[in-house]
Amino acid sequence: MIEVKSISKSFKTVNALSELTFAARDGEITGLLGPNGAGKTTCLRIIYGLLRADSGEALIEHVDANKHPLKARSNLGIFPDKFGLYERLTVREQIRYFGELHGLKGHTLENNVQSVIERLDIATLADRKSAGFSQGQRMKVALAQALVHDPKHLILDEPSRGLDVMSTRILRDILREQRAAGTCILFSSHVMQEVAALCDRVVVMAGGKVAAEGTPNELCQLTGETALEDAFVKIIGSDEGIAA
Amino acid sequence: MSAYKTIWKKEFKDALRDKRSVLAAMSYAFFGPMLMAVAFFFLISQLTDPSDVKISIEGKQYAPELVEHLRENSIVERETDWPAEVTPIELSIPENWAAAIASATPIAVTLRADWSAQKQQTDVKRVEQALQAYSAQIANYRLILRGIDPRVIQPVQVAKQDMATRGSKAAIIMGSVLVFILLSVFWSGMNVAIDISAGERERNSLEFLLSQPVSSQAIVIGKVLAASCFALLGAMLSLILIPIIFSFVPLHQIGMSVDFSLDMLLIMFLALVPLALLATSLQLFVSFRAKNFKEAQTYISFLLIIPMAASFGVEFARLKTPLLYYLPLTGQHQTFLSLIRGEAVNWLGTGVSAIFTLVVAVLLTYLIGRMLKSEKTVFGL
Repeated sequence: MIEVKSISKSFKTVNALSELTFAARDGEITGLLGPNGAGKTTCLRIIYGLLRADSGEALIEHVDANKHPLKARSNLGIFPDKFGLYERLTVREQIRYFGELHGLKGHTLENNVQSVIERLDIATLADRKSAGFSQGQRMKVALAQALVHDPKHLILDEPSRGLDVMSTRILRDILREQRAAGTCILFSSHVMQEVAALCDRVVVMAGGKVAAEGTPNELCQLTGETALEDAFVKIIGSDEGIAA
Repeated sequence: MSAYKTIWKKEFKDALRDKRSVLAAMSYAFFGPMLMAVAFFFLISQLTDPSDVKISIEGKQYAPELVEHLRENSIVERETDWPAEVTPIELSIPENWAAAIASATPIAVTLRADWSAQKQQTDVKRVEQALQAYSAQIANYRLILRGIDPRVIQPVQVAKQDMATRGSKAAIIMGSVLVFILLSVFWSGMNVAIDISAGERERNSLEFLLSQPVSSQAIVIGKVLAASCFALLGAMLSLILIPIIFSFVPLHQIGMSVDFSLDMLLIMFLALVPLALLATSLQLFVSFRAKNFKEAQTYISFLLIIPMAASFGVEFARLKTPLLYYLPLTGQHQTFLSLIRGEAVNWLGTGVSAIFTLVVAVLLTYLIGRMLKSEKTVFGL
């Protein structure tokens, strides 16, 4: 369970988030949908404690990552806005590194590394250095790093950007698998299709606020539109910054 | 908590696979001593130049024994003309030399030269000394002939004892070598330090690393240790190579002996450990603030000037204040100087400066940890 309770955040003169409130439940995929600059990344960074909210709090399983970052993050898998790989390390070494940072060791560590490699179908890449990987391959490695410790919560910041159809499908399959295992998944996107295809619940963000919240169907009903895209445009009041 | 060990291990492995970092660390340790050895080669061949002092001698036919004596002391008559810009050194022997010697009366020999000319000072001194020695020799003969012990005219005998031991002479030259060793910890870890801080940010992996359930202090400690290992690797290489390379330099020709004993090298290495921690934490402190590799490189090049200026300044200004023993960098420098001169090492100073260095390093590490908690530094806001 991830709860965001009336978070406000401003950078100098820019008001990034104001009184943002929503929740992502266990065993559900919650999509944070919003145009570019809506404050999605800022919100996610506050949840995992890299940014500090000016007011309000973000709780992961009732723990505030800003107060107890280590405890909050120990049960959290993160796929950040920018994921750089260590190009001089092999994929296995990278995944193992992050497993170790999550306190895994010995047999458990090796088992987890091996199982995440198999789950993401990257066994052929596992012992290669990640320099020169394609965007899809890099995404898988980043996802493996986020999943190696079997987190109960998963936060992904625009995970599908730059991916081709095949990689996107793999990503969706993995997220559905995780949902089936009871993981609480929160992911941000500005891509409508993806949100419609994947999410149980959608939180529409615009200008740092929640513009609407509900299942894709509920949002359509709410606005009287049949397609989510039209509903979305109606909710945020413009079609700026949305990809179909 | 062993997170710092995980990070240390990973960063070290990562850096070892980075050819640029390895090359940077090793080339300084390798080419530095080489260059220095070559410089000493030339210096020594200049210092031991056995060339004769060539002067003009007027009236040499009057005193062939004196000319012979001068020749034995490598002072010979000049065959070529004096260059226009040099004041000639001229010795005139009077006609009445033989008569005066025979009658045991003083002879006025004239030595004409420019005593203020820097370049000729040693030459003029050598001529003077040779003349005085000849004069003393004749005086001794005369006294002995008259049945007098020559010692009666030497009531006070000045015994010159040159306190410059072989080692301390060498220290003058070796001073620059020591500065080189000291700076090796600043040079060798530099590339790694930039790579794991500004480089990590540039590669976009910093955000993910900071989102792990690991305290920022542990991350910084791991990184400082990894970069310090590289710095110490470079220092160790310098310490191994310098004695080897210098064994080929004919220091003994200028009456010097530099004896790098194993104990001495070991103490030097130990003294460099806290300095390496300070150097890398300082470099990380600076380059974590930089947005990318290039920016960090620029800052760090400026940063390098500080230890260079400090150690060369102390070395060449011959600065002597007891405070130097207790400060970071200069403390290690003084310890090295004492070691190479064969003097007693000021162990208190060595210890205090080691602790002082360590404290500053720990403080810097703590500050970097705090810095990484600030969103301003992390996202460059």
